[in-house]
Amino acid sequence: MTSRRGFLKAGGLALFGIGVGGFPTFLARAAESDKIISPYKKKKILVCIFQRGAMDGLMAVTPFTDNYLRAARPNLFISAAKAGKGTPLIDLDGRFGLHPAMSAFEPMFREKRLAIVHGIGSPNKTRSHFDAQDYMESGTPFNKGTSSGWLNRAVGLMGHDGATPFQAVSLTSSMPRSFYGDNPAVAISNLQDFAIQMRGNPKGANMAARSFEDLYDQTSSDLLKQTGKESFDAIKMLQKADVKRYKPANDVVYPSSALGNSLKQIAQLIKMDVGVEVAFAESGGWDTHFNQGAETGIFARNVNDLSSSIMAFWNDMEAYQDDITVMTMTEFGRTVRQNGTGGTDHGRASCNFILGNDVNGGLVHGNIQPLSVENLEDGRDLAVTTDFRSVFSEVADKHLKLSNDKVLFPDWDGSKIGVMRS
Amino acid sequence: MKTGFKFYATLALAVICFITLPSFFSGKNAKPRFKFPYKQAGLTERQAAAHLLNRFTYGATPGQIDEVVKMGLEKWFQQQLDGKLPDDSLNGRLAGYDALNLTNKQVLDTYPRPPIILRMAIKDGYIDKDSVNKQTDKKMYRDKLEAYMNKMGFKPERDLYRQFISQKILRAAYSNNQLHEVLTDFWFNHFNVAFVKNDCAQFIPAYERDVIRPNVTGKFETLLLATAKSPAMLMYLDNFSSTKSNDPKPGKSRKTYAAAKNTAQPGADIMMSDMEAMQQADAKNQPQKPRQGLNENYAREVMELHTMGVDGGYTQNDVTQAARVLTGWTVYPLSDVGYTNARKKALEKLGEERMEKQGYVHDGDFLFAANRHDNGEKVVLGKKFPANGGYEEGVTLLSMLAHHPSTAKFISRKIAVRFVNDNPPQSLIDKMAQTFSTQDGDIAKVLITMVTSPEFWSKDALREKTKSPFELAMSAVRTLHADIQEPYQLYSWINKMGQRMYYYQAPTGFPDRGQYWINTGSLLSRMNFGLALASQRVPGVKVDLAALNNHREPESTEQALLVYSKLIMPERNLDETVKHLTPLLNTPDLGQKVAKAASKANANNTMTMTGNKDDVLASMNDEKPAKKASVNTNKNNNQMLAQVVGIIVGSPEFQRR
Repeated sequence: MTSRRGFLKAGGLALFGIGVGGFPTFLARAAESDKIISPYKKKKILVCIFQRGAMDGLMAVTPFTDNYLRAARPNLFISAAKAGKGTPLIDLDGRFGLHPAMSAFEPMFREKRLAIVHGIGSPNKTRSHFDAQDYMESGTPFNKGTSSGWLNRAVGLMGHDGATPFQAVSLTSSMPRSFYGDNPAVAISNLQDFAIQMRGNPKGANMAARSFEDLYDQTSSDLLKQTGKESFDAIKMLQKADVKRYKPANDVVYPSSALGNSLKQIAQLIKMDVGVEVAFAESGGWDTHFNQGAETGIFARNVNDLSSSIMAFWNDMEAYQDDITVMTMTEFGRTVRQNGTGGTDHGRASCNFILGNDVNGGLVHGNIQPLSVENLEDGRDLAVTTDFRSVFSEVADKHLKLSNDKVLFPDWDGSKIGVMRS
Repeated sequence: MKTGFKFYATLALAVICFITLPSFFSGKNAKPRFKFPYKQAGLTERQAAAHLLNRFTYGATPGQIDEVVKMGLEKWFQQQLDGKLPDDSLNGRLAGYDALNLTNKQVLDTYPRPPIILRMAIKDGYIDKDSVNKQTDKKMYRDKLEAYMNKMGFKPERDLYRQFISQKILRAAYSNNQLHEVLTDFWFNHFNVAFVKNDCAQFIPAYERDVIRPNVTGKFETLLLATAKSPAMLMYLDNFSSTKSNDPKPGKSRKTYAAAKNTAQPGADIMMSDMEAMQQADAKNQPQKPRQGLNENYAREVMELHTMGVDGGYTQNDVTQAARVLTGWTVYPLSDVGYTNARKKALEKLGEERMEKQGYVHDGDFLFAANRHDNGEKVVLGKKFPANGGYEEGVTLLSMLAHHPSTAKFISRKIAVRFVNDNPPQSLIDKMAQTFSTQDGDIAKVLITMVTSPEFWSKDALREKTKSPFELAMSAVRTLHADIQEPYQLYSWINKMGQRMYYYQAPTGFPDRGQYWINTGSLLSRMNFGLALASQRVPGVKVDLAALNNHREPESTEQALLVYSKLIMPERNLDETVKHLTPLLNTPDLGQKVAKAASKANANNTMTMTGNKDDVLASMNDEKPAKKASVNTNKNNNQMLAQVVGIIVGSPEFQRR
C-alpha cells in the first residue's frame, strides 16, 4: 500500500498544501482504507440539472403534426413550416420540433449525442410543485418518508470509501433534496467564497479556522458537526485553486445566468481533479402560468439559457466528454390547453434531455399519443408514459455502472427504454 | 319597552365584558391567566427566560434575561403578544426613510418601473425611440433618462427596496415588540410573495406593513382574507388575471394579452409589464373582449400552502372549482402614471354607485370585477356554491378553508416547527389544533397553548432550532449591542449566508429547518460573518466590545473567552466550547502576534488560511516579544478580543437557538 506521503505526491495533492487541521480527514480515511479511489483517476461523471417550476415539455419539444395541440394552443403553438411568419420549430424527425430558441442543441441531436425522452413523468399524480420535486428527488414517488435523495444513494453505491468531499457537489445555495442522505455531499454557491477570510490577517484567519474546525468537530449537533467537517475538508482541497481567473477551453463563453455560472464552476471543479462524480445544478422560472410567449418571451428565454448553458459546459469539457453525461429533469409538465392568461397550468408529463457520448441520441424516445381529449390524463394533460425512474436508472446503470435499482429506486421494477447505448 | 330591553341587555353585556375581559386577558397590571411549566422540565427561571427569548425574539440583548425574570415570564409573554410597547428609539432610526409609509398608489407614482419611465420619456419626446436598443451612447441615454426622472420627480425603484429591507433589519434589531416582528416574518414567509415577480414587487412594502403586520396575532381568517385581497398576492399568484372562461372555439384565435403585448409598441417586450399588457389588451379590444379564462395558480396554493396543506384532502377538481369561485378577484387599477389607463377610466366612468349595483366590490386597492366572475354553480370540497354568488362566495370559500380541520393541523404544525423544533411532537400539534378549532383560529391563543405545553420546554426543544441567516445576523447584532448605521450592509451578509430575503421565488417561502440552512458553503459564510462583525469589518455596523463588559479589560485571552462566551450566550453550558478554544487561543501574547502578523500582511488581499497548525504556532513562538508592546497593548487587546468574539459568533453553539 502506498504510504501517505507517496500517495500525496502521486496524487499531486501536495499542491493543495495541508490545511490547518493537519491531514485532511478524507485522505486519512483513504489512506487507511484498502479501497483507495484516488482523486486523479479518471471517473465517470453525471451532471444533473433540475428545472424547477415544471417545464412545458410540449413547447420545448413540440409534436407539431398534432392538430389537437395546435387547436388547444392558439397563441402558444409554433409551426415547423418555414413559410410562416416568425421563426419555425427545428424539425427533428418529421414529427417533433425543437423550440427555435434551443438551436444550440440541434447539432448534438444530429450527431446522435443528445437524446430526448417525451412523456416522462411521475406515476404519482400530484400537481404540487413541492411534492412532485420531492418525489422525483427522493426517487420514491409514493413515499414521503424517504429521507435520502436518489443521487446520494447513487454515491453510496459507488462504494468509494475515502472518496473526496467533492464526490457529490451541488452548485446551489442550499443542499438539494437529491443529495440528502448519509453519504457526504457538498453545496457551494460560489467557489470564491470558500475559505475562512480575515482581510490582511492570514495568521488570524488560520487561528480562527483551527478554532472553528475544532469547535465544529465536538458539537453535539450532528448536522453542524458533519457539515463542518465537510466544509473544512473541502477548503483544504480548494485553497490553492485560482478560481477567479478561470479560462474555459475553446474560448467558450458561459451565459451569465445562474445556471451558466453553476455549470462553469462544475467545469472548474472537474478540471481540478478533485474527484467529482455527481454534480447538480438548478434552473428556475419554468412555472409559466402567465404569458409564457412563443418564439420569443419568457419560455424562449428560459430554454435558450438552458441549452446555451449546457452547450457552453459541453464545449468547455471537450477533453472530458467521454466521461460526462448531462441529464435534465423537471417535476411535471403543463396543461395541453393554454390557460386564460397566455400561459399553462400544472400538468403531468414533460420531456427531458440527455447529452453524452454514450447516449442513444438523435431520437425522441417515449410514447406520445395524439393529444385528443380521450388520450389525455384527466382529460387535460399529456399522459405520463415513461416513468422517470426508468430513465434515471438506465443513465445511472450505463454511465455510472450502478445497477442496483433496489437501492436507487426501491419500489420500482419497470423496464428501461434504451436511452443509453448498450 | 323593546328598546328599553335592548338597552339594558347591552349594558349588562358591556358590564360583564368589563368585568371579565381584563381578568381573562391582560389588563395593564393583571397577571396573565396562564403559567409556563418550565420547572417541571427541570429548568431554572433564568434558563426558561433564555429559552423564551431565543424563540420569541431575534435574540436576547445584554441584560434582557434579568429583565424578563424580574417582570415574570408569563407577563413578559403577554406583553409581547399585545405588542404595544413604545418604540421611540426604533422610530428615530426609521425616521430617515421616506418611502416606508407610502400607499401602493404613491409607490407606483413615485417609483415607476423602468419600462414605464422609458415609455413616458419616449412619449414626452425626451428620448428617441430608436435610440433605446442602440449600444452606442449609453451614457447620454442614461443621462437623459435621469434628467427626465428628476423633472418628473420619479425615484429609482431600487431605493424603495433598499429602504424596505433596511426597515426590516432595523425593526428586528431594535423593536421592543419583538414577538410581533418574529411573527411578521413568520406569516410573511407563510404567505410568501417575492421581488422576483416584477408586477408584484412594488406592492410588497405595503403588503408587509398593512396586510401582514397588523394581523399577526389575530384571527387566521382575517389574515387569510387580507392576503387574498392584497395586490401583492393577487399579482404574485396570478389571480388578478383569472376570469371566467369564454370557452373559445379551438383554433379560432382572438386577440390575447400576449398578442397585445407583442404588438403594442416596438420593443414592447421589455417595455410593458404583464399587468399593463393585460390592461392594454382590455382597452384595445373593446368592445370585443379579449379571450379570457381561468388561472388555477392561486386557488391551488391557497389550499396547498396557505390553509389545508398538500395532504389536506382536496382534489384537482376542487382546485379548478375554487379557481372559478375566485374569478374576478383582482387589483383596482391604481396608477395614473404612464399610459392612459383605460380600465381605470372605464371604472370611474361607471361610478362607484353603479359598480356596487352591478356587484362590483371596490375595497381599497382590491377590486372584485363582477364582469369577469364566473357566475355558474360550483362545488368545492363538497360544498355547493349556488349560481350568482358574486364576491361573497369567495369570502365564504376562504372562511371555509380557514376553518377546515386540515388547516387547524397544518397551521399548528407550522407554528410549532417555527417555535419548538423541526419535528414537533404530534401531541403538541393536536393540542394547538384543538385550540385553533375551538377558538376560531385565534393565533394568540394557539401560541399560548404551545408555550403552556410541556413539549415547548422539553429537552427536545431547547437549542434544537438552527438559526436562519437572518436570525443569526440579528442575534449577533443584538447580543453585541451593535449600532447599525447602514442596515443594507447586513443584508449582503445575510444573502451570502444563503437567505436572500424577499427574493424567495417559490410560494412555499423559505423552508424552516436546519438542514436547509446548514450546508458546506453557507456554514463557512456564517463563520466569516462572525469574524467580520466582531472586527468591525461590516461597514456601517459598529460594535463596542469593551463596553459590553463595562470597559473592564480581560486580563488574558482565556478570561476574555470565559467572559464573552457568557455575555454572548447566557444560560448555556459552554464548558465544551471553552475547553476546546482555550489551548488554541491561550498562546502567550497572542494578541500581539496576531496584530503583528496583520500589519505585515498586504491589507488589500483577502487572505485565506495556509500552512498547517504547526507552522502557525511555530512562527508565532519564534517571534520575540515586541518592544513596542506597551504602546500597542490596547490595539492588540482589541484585536485579540475581536478574534475571540468572532469565533464565538461563528461557533456551532451560537448557530442554535
